[in-house]
Parts: sequence; structure tokens; C-alpha cells
Amino acid sequence: MIKNRTFINIYSSYSCAGNTKTLMEAIYAKESKITIDTNYLNGLPVALGKILSDNFFELLRSCVEEVLEKSNLENFNDTLLIVGSSVGGMKESEKHYFKDKSYTNIHYKKHCISVIEDFLQDNFSFAATRSVSTACTSSANALILAKRLMNVGAYKNILVVGADSLCYTTVCGFYALGVLSSKPCTPFNEVREGMNVAEGIAALLLQNKPNEQSIEIVGVGASSDAYHMTNPDPEGKGAIKAMQNALEDANIQVTEVDYINAHGTGTQANDAVEALAIKKLFNGVAVSSTKAITGHTLGAAAALEAIISCEILKRGKLPAQTALVKAENESIHLLQECQEKEINYVLSNSFAFGGNNASLLFRRLK
Amino acid sequence: MRVALNILSATKIYASKKIENLDEKRIVPKMMLRRRLTRNAKIMLYLADKCGFKGGKIVYASAFGELQSTVGITTAILEEESISPTMFQNSVYNAPPSYFSLLYGDTDEIITISSGMKSSDEALKTAALQALISGEQILCVASESIDIPNIEQVNNCVEFLESGAAVVLEIAQLQKGAKEIQKGSLDGLISSIVTLFNVASMYENGVNKIILDL
Repeated sequence: MIKNRTFINIYSSYSCAGNTKTLMEAIYAKESKITIDTNYLNGLPVALGKILSDNFFELLRSCVEEVLEKSNLENFNDTLLIVGSSVGGMKESEKHYFKDKSYTNIHYKKHCISVIEDFLQDNFSFAATRSVSTACTSSANALILAKRLMNVGAYKNILVVGADSLCYTTVCGFYALGVLSSKPCTPFNEVREGMNVAEGIAALLLQNKPNEQSIEIVGVGASSDAYHMTNPDPEGKGAIKAMQNALEDANIQVTEVDYINAHGTGTQANDAVEALAIKKLFNGVAVSSTKAITGHTLGAAAALEAIISCEILKRGKLPAQTALVKAENESIHLLQECQEKEINYVLSNSFAFGGNNASLLFRRLK
Repeated sequence: MRVALNILSATKIYASKKIENLDEKRIVPKMMLRRRLTRNAKIMLYLADKCGFKGGKIVYASAFGELQSTVGITTAILEEESISPTMFQNSVYNAPPSYFSLLYGDTDEIITISSGMKSSDEALKTAALQALISGEQILCVASESIDIPNIEQVNNCVEFLESGAAVVLEIAQLQKGAKEIQKGSLDGLISSIVTLFNVASMYENGVNKIILDL
């Protein structure tokens, strides 16, 4: 089969670190944008990545509008929309349920994951729409589907949107699992408390023809751990398989990868296993997790980190691991300081409940 | 882009409330795993078993996902009770196929589609893409379980509160003889599973090749 190529031509994002420009400034300055909140857990402090706006859907519309304005498209009428989200309309449902103590004022369409897809369709009239929900790999799998649809020539333009807002269900749910941190997270650090739940929006326009700013998605890989619903396989086999599949899809060697944007949530289990998987597969590749800046934006994380990966490739500057004091696993190359160099390939990892693993490989065009 | 698909097996199930006899004890012999299953997971595992699917790539679809778990969590928050960690892990939309991967040791790709009332339609397109890319047989399965207390506060059209359909498919080399997916629906069936349900009905009526747009 002839594989058409897939280029990320335009993107826009919003997270607790602001837009893409301020996000990258924060990443390179090692300034976490996580804040302490006492509203979600009955006064207990929890560190969260909160967007400084109450209107999540207006920000979503604004992000997608920015992509359209910067693109070579007049509209999205010939564009497929693929959304990745794990929360969907949960925040809206919670608002009504907590107030009314009944479902009466919950609209079923506004509860579903597809509320994001429906909102964007109403505002932009896409050729078709689809939503993926595989927990924290949702937008990674959206990007995987998008690349494959481009590969077979089914579409020329695909907009991938990752979007998840903060809600009680996720904050309290992760608290029940005992994996939340009361402070900004410290991925891969020997001493670490846990993760920071966060909200984020990331929109990427994928096209079959490059422009001057293009980054290519050259490889995608996925796998399942088949080990446990929430704990990763301690040997890292699933993570390794996803990364290997991405490398095979791109037809490149492990030695060609310049940097890994790790899933790196800051939980005990994830970081230990991801570091082990990277150590087993790679030999000294530079690694860091930007969740120390953004927190874990759940279903939006892979799309947001795809944008971060694109920026790293364009700027030729590897980000240091924020908040790293002493690495738990000193056999992987966690960057203490940012590093300017020619960067050709960046790998980005995402792992999720159910042992769902996804890796995305990006390339700078020469 | 049009692709033709061979339907290798297909099945469907529905009930006005709880589907009885999903054969869990035979399908999931380990009690600890069986006790953790969500209703959607039980339906999904039953459908996969009926299709004879034991491993490979899965595309799962659900518009509402794990409603029982979601309601359990929000009610616990409202009543200031502690949340069950199992309930939280079961609340993700990919819980059913993840239980399949645990049961059969399946390390292959799992994608979950949740596109509202067109969930099974989009899942079928996704499964066709996965079959085209991989050249493998794909399990495409959709289920809904909205049998929760007080569901009548938001439901006034779905008669069958639990339902599901599954298809094992592969790419057909020739489009000749492939049938368009039939329209229409069983009255009272939730729209999110209709497309897969109709493919299963077509298969039961002797159709084993369909055509669709990616």
C-alpha cells in the first residue's frame, strides 16, 4: 500500500500555561503553572492545572478558529474532525446533578463525550466528525486514526482536537486511587507525591501537503498491556511495544530519536515503568515530561504534547525536566538543563487506564 | 473512500432492562476478575465470545459509556462518601475492551469511539480503517447499558435499556456483491448501536459482504 504522508501544518492550544507561546516560555523557563486548590476535596489542598477562564467552550471555539484563520482553508467543509476526550460533558452533568439531586435538567447530548464534537460541528460545519475516548490516550488515538486515514488517502485535511475540562469526577476519582499530589508534580524524581489533574485544549490541522512550518507525523504505535486496569505492566512490555510500533511505522532506528516527551505523570507506578521501558529500548536518548508545567490534561494530553513536540522540533531546543532534584532511575538521560541542538525526531508517549498505550513519532522537515 | 468488508461473524442482543444470562461464569472463570466487570464489559465479552473472537484489534463503541460507574461516583461526591477505586477505573469508556484484553491476554490495539448517537457508525468506519491498514480481522463491538435508577428522568425514547451488537470483519478484495448497510431500526433501540445492529441483522439474513465510506 502506498502511504500518503501526514503533516501537522497549523495548531493552537490552551492550558494552565496559557497559549502555545506562553506554554513554551514556561517549559523552557522551568516554571510550573500548577496551582493549589481547596475546592474539590472539601478543603484538602490539591495541585491542579486550571485554565484561567470559566468558559471552556468559548476557548475551544477560539482555538479552532485560530487554526482555521492561519490555515490555507476557507472553511472546514472538506475537513474531518476527530476529537479525543475522556471527560466530555461530565462537568455540565455534575453541575445539574449536584444542584438538583436528579437528572431532570441534564440533556443527554450534553453529557456525552460527543458534546465537544457537536459543539464544533455547530460552529464550523465539518465534512464529518468522530470522537475517540480511551481515557488518557484519547487524543493520541485520535492522532493515530488521523494519520492512518491520511495514509490511505481518505482525507486531505483532518483537524484533531484534544479537549478535557476539570471536573469533580476526575479529581475525586484520582484522589480515591491515591495518586494525586498536593504540590506541583515532580516527574521521574526519586521523591514524588503523584500527579496533577489538569484541563487543556489542543487543536492540530493535519494535511497531506506540507507548508513552510510543517512537522511530519512519521510513525504511530499502539498496544495494550493486558496486565491491570490501572497499574502498568511492571516490565514495561506494553509501553515498549507501542514505542517499537511507532518506530517500525516510521521505519527508523532507536538511535535516530533525539528526544522523548514522556507520559511522565509523576505517579509512582507510571514513572518507574516508563523509565524502565525507555531504558530497555533506547540508549541514552534525552527525556523529559512537560506535565511538570501543564499537569496531566487527560484525554487532551497527547494532542497538547504533540504541539509541544512540534515546537521543540522547530525551535531546536530540548526542554529540561522541571522540578528534578534526584532521578529515581539514573540510567535514563533526564535533561537537567534545556539544550539547543539540531533535533530531527521526537517521540511522545501516552498511557491510559486499561493498559492502553500509544506513541507518536514526529519529524522536522529539512 | 469506499471499502468492502467481509463479515466473518456477527451477533446482537437487547433487553428492556437487564440482559439475563450473559454466561459470565463460563466466559470469565476467574471470580476476582468477573466481580469487577461493568455491565457493558459483560455484554461486550458475551458478544465477542458469540463471535468466536479471542484476540486481535478491537474497536469498541458506546455513547454513554459506563453510566452506572459515573452515577456511583457523582452520587458518592454529592453525599460526601468515599469513592470506590474500582468504580473510578471502571468509569472510562475503554473499560469493556480493556477487560477483554485482561481476560484473553490480548496486547493488540484497542480504540473506543464515542460519537453520540452515531457511535457504532463511526466505530464501523474506524474498524474498516484498522482492517485496511493491518490486513487483519477486527472485532467491532458496540454496547449501551443505561439501566440505572431514575433513568426515566432523562430517557423517554429508549425502550431497551441494555443492548449490544458485534461484528468480526476483514477487508474484501472485491467490492462486487457488497451490500449497503440497511437503514431503519428496531423501535425502541438506542440509536448509538443501530448501524452495527443492522449489520448483525443482515449477517443473520445471509449477507456477508458490506460496503461503506471510510
